[in-house]
Amino acid sequence: MTPKPHSALIIVGHGSTTNPDSSTPSFEHAESLVRRGLFGDVQCVFWKEEPSMRQALHLVDQDDIYIVPNFISEGYFTRTVIPRELELTGPLTQRAGRTLKYCEPVGNHERMTELLLRRAAEVAPGVDPQKTSLLIVGHGTNLNDNSAFAAKREVDRIAASGIYAQVLSTFMEEEPLIAKWDELTTQPNVVVVPFFISDGLHSYQDIPVLLGIEQEPTAAASQRSVFRDNPRHMRGRTLYYASAVGTEPLFAEVILDQITAFDLAHPALP
Amino acid sequence: MKRDLTQALARWISQGRRQIGEVLFLPTDHGFLVHHHLDSPSADLEPHTDPNAARRIAVADASGEFRPIKTTPNLRRGWLLKLPDITALRTALEALYPAMLGSFLSFERGELPGVHLRETVGRQSGMYAITKKVTDNQALAVIARNCNSEHGCLKAHLWQIDPTTPVSSLPASKTDPSIPQLPGSAPFLPLLCAEACNLLVAKFREEIKKTPYTPPPADAAPTAAPPHP
Repeated sequence: MTPKPHSALIIVGHGSTTNPDSSTPSFEHAESLVRRGLFGDVQCVFWKEEPSMRQALHLVDQDDIYIVPNFISEGYFTRTVIPRELELTGPLTQRAGRTLKYCEPVGNHERMTELLLRRAAEVAPGVDPQKTSLLIVGHGTNLNDNSAFAAKREVDRIAASGIYAQVLSTFMEEEPLIAKWDELTTQPNVVVVPFFISDGLHSYQDIPVLLGIEQEPTAAASQRSVFRDNPRHMRGRTLYYASAVGTEPLFAEVILDQITAFDLAHPALP
Repeated sequence: MKRDLTQALARWISQGRRQIGEVLFLPTDHGFLVHHHLDSPSADLEPHTDPNAARRIAVADASGEFRPIKTTPNLRRGWLLKLPDITALRTALEALYPAMLGSFLSFERGELPGVHLRETVGRQSGMYAITKKVTDNQALAVIARNCNSEHGCLKAHLWQIDPTTPVSSLPASKTDPSIPQLPGSAPFLPLLCAEACNLLVAKFREEIKKTPYTPPPADAAPTAAPPHP
């Protein structure tokens, strides 16, 4: 990407009032982008943490501002909450001499497939994918949220590649339920990759209980000395549980890709 | 005039300001020292030179509890940031007190209008739409519990319940940015709250959910809170 020293980048995350790890990937992607010196400034804002979305424009000096949602899918947050809190009128908002450029959420980018495959390979090194069931686990919800659709889209792409013997989308709150992972899978090895932004409440504390590798939610990831013991031999399978896809450092690249995509879609802008 | 937050921070330092919230920042021959105001830089403190360490320092209190609001007066002690220049100082202070330098600059420029509570809850949707129904009395009680400067939050409020209804459950000093919320502060940078944060809005939701609805007497005017689902 061509450096944009006169532009600011604001990464928007969900954050949490209870889990310190929810916002960590957004901050780490921001720190990595600051080190690369591509923007005049890089900041994070959140729904449930500080700094808040409402404070976003007080954080940066620049008048040209890219806003990238660090969300796994389009939905209620990207379509309703973020535009309302940032007072956006569309992809492009002009306000008080400032130009706000609202990009697509990171999870929409086609490179998600590559990052999910990378996570799966990292967590189970040397394991034959042709003897492996790969489960992509998403939230699944009845909210106006396309996380289930996004997870299914990724599963279709991975399945089409033929790398894994079996690829399935599973969910915390809707069928097929991740809790039934042993009934759903056909292969001796099972790799589970959370299609989440962070190792926060859902992917670090809730899903391990649903998988049966913890009896009850543990402390947050950052408060434990050991991240996960992999693999686990249980229910007649060898189970590998990965870190959330959003903790992958290459997510910072996807943030840049979404900015490039925005510029391509709006070529008349400076 | 163009915003320049780093230049503004340099100006504030030249004015003699040395404290923000519970943190002291002191110019030295080699840059800046930053530490908890109750610690002495000569004490045996955990040293850091990376300004991003400030974010990790601010994550949890001394007992390890997560701090979703960084202006809660429970910043842990025992650390010392040795920073080379004002850019690193800005990064560290923004991590310790997110958006507070920028909010103060906007305030100085007349660009930080307070947003009254009725407007904030009025725009909520989804699970927080119910907060539109918070009564003044419920709001005043929740604000007093969560925003008080002793245990809740050190920010000064720029907002009221509505344009004519002040937050009477907090002392008048809570709305004056020139008064330090932490007694005995050195010349300071104020922490400013332009509107109710999402955490406070969530507390209104909890309050409404736990309050049983009592229908008004049949002959009384409907002044109580409307029923909620």
